[in-house]
Amino acid sequence: MIHASRNLSERYSAALAHHLADPDEGILNQAYELGRKALGDGLGVLDIAMAHHSALHAAISDESRAEAMPAPTLAKAAEFLAESLSPFEMSFRGYAETNAQLVIANDNLLQSQAAAEAANRELEAFSYSVAHDLRAPLRGIDGFSQALLEDYADKIDQEGRRHLTFLRESAQQMGRLIDDLLGLSRVARAELCRLPVDLSALARNVAMQLGKAEPDRQVEIVIGDGIGAEGDAPLLRIALENLLGNAWKFTSKRAGARVEVGMMSVEGEATYFVRDNGAGFDPAYQAKLFGVFQRLHSTDEFEGTGIGLATVKRIVNRHGGRIWAASEVDRGATFYFTLGEGTPQP
Amino acid sequence: MSEKFILLVEDNPSDEALTLRALRKNNISSPVVVKRDGAEALDYLLARRSDSGGACALPQLILLDLKLPKIDGLEVLRRIRADARTRLLPVVILTSSREDTDLVRGYDFGANGYVRKPVDFVQFAEAVRQIGLYWLIINEPAPTAGNTCPSH
Repeated sequence: MIHASRNLSERYSAALAHHLADPDEGILNQAYELGRKALGDGLGVLDIAMAHHSALHAAISDESRAEAMPAPTLAKAAEFLAESLSPFEMSFRGYAETNAQLVIANDNLLQSQAAAEAANRELEAFSYSVAHDLRAPLRGIDGFSQALLEDYADKIDQEGRRHLTFLRESAQQMGRLIDDLLGLSRVARAELCRLPVDLSALARNVAMQLGKAEPDRQVEIVIGDGIGAEGDAPLLRIALENLLGNAWKFTSKRAGARVEVGMMSVEGEATYFVRDNGAGFDPAYQAKLFGVFQRLHSTDEFEGTGIGLATVKRIVNRHGGRIWAASEVDRGATFYFTLGEGTPQP
Repeated sequence: MSEKFILLVEDNPSDEALTLRALRKNNISSPVVVKRDGAEALDYLLARRSDSGGACALPQLILLDLKLPKIDGLEVLRRIRADARTRLLPVVILTSSREDTDLVRGYDFGANGYVRKPVDFVQFAEAVRQIGLYWLIINEPAPTAGNTCPSH
């Protein structure tokens, strides 16, 4: 920078002296070029002023041998200075223009943001409507099918009663689908609050509730001690409910059902896992595993809506982590997940 | 009608029929007054309240849907609680919504209970049975609420 400044000063002095001695257009072009180069070198208006000052000073010293510098010479010097400053002037104008464009762009951005927020609110209102408005007719279908079964049992034959039972099952299944979809959208909307979480305690609590819901099931649940994480406790609870719930469900046809929850280090990253010795899945369909409404088992085999693992994946993603699974048919499944930065080292 | 009665605020005729059926199935014989939007429900309660007959004609239990035409359930609840004569009436919200905001606001506005209507009628009937059992038989209402009324 100092070199560029000195260089400018020397060239400026020479060009100005030339201009004062023999003014023509070519020299003024040179003044413009000097300014342009100075701007390109990162020099400023002050550097030009200094160069001008020292050049003028040199010229006056020369002239002082004769008389003081005459007014026309001063005017010519000023003309030279103005020309050398014009690239800066143009740059400022460009800057002002860019700035004005930025202000407009920023306004547009704010408008888009407001539009996105409005759309989000609309989506929430829509979810609310889905919950309320879609469930009401389902209640009607289920309730009046049941009413027919109760009040007209003697007028409907066995086949008819079977149809009504299917009608009720369908309505209830759709009710569960709506609930799970709403759960998924809540998970996406919920504010994420990262705090230290005792996953061991959380998993034990979830396991206890599974046991309470189906006290006849014999499932050995092994939960490692001191599994710590940093994450959103309510969301992690939903994730564990789904993962443990799946393990519980897919071991239902297994004698000696076993579910394990633990933590290990994979390439230095805390990796949590939920392992079962249940039905497992065909690894060929692994890609579908975490998709919404994707199921790898028929409803006859195992009940479900196909939203649980999509919900878990969303929770893990929201923490900045990853989820994957390893399994073979009839050899159980293990689900692994990480929770992104901030999780303790195992 | 001289007995304790229930006020059901419900706009969906199918839900109304199912609720009445569930009450009947559970041998809850209290008369039920049905109002089909929030404004109708408030008009009804306020008219009862200013009855020259004095302290009569208030329901022993209000089953309140949230999403209602004209005036929504939360606003109905707020006005019930804002009025000296109706503020102690037991109000149980009976709705499809399980949104956290509805739950929090429902309790904020002084709901005595919040029950989500299950799709499965067997579960729905059981929920209605327990609500009826608790609020009509087990629970002791505040002296201003649930007085008997000679006629509606």
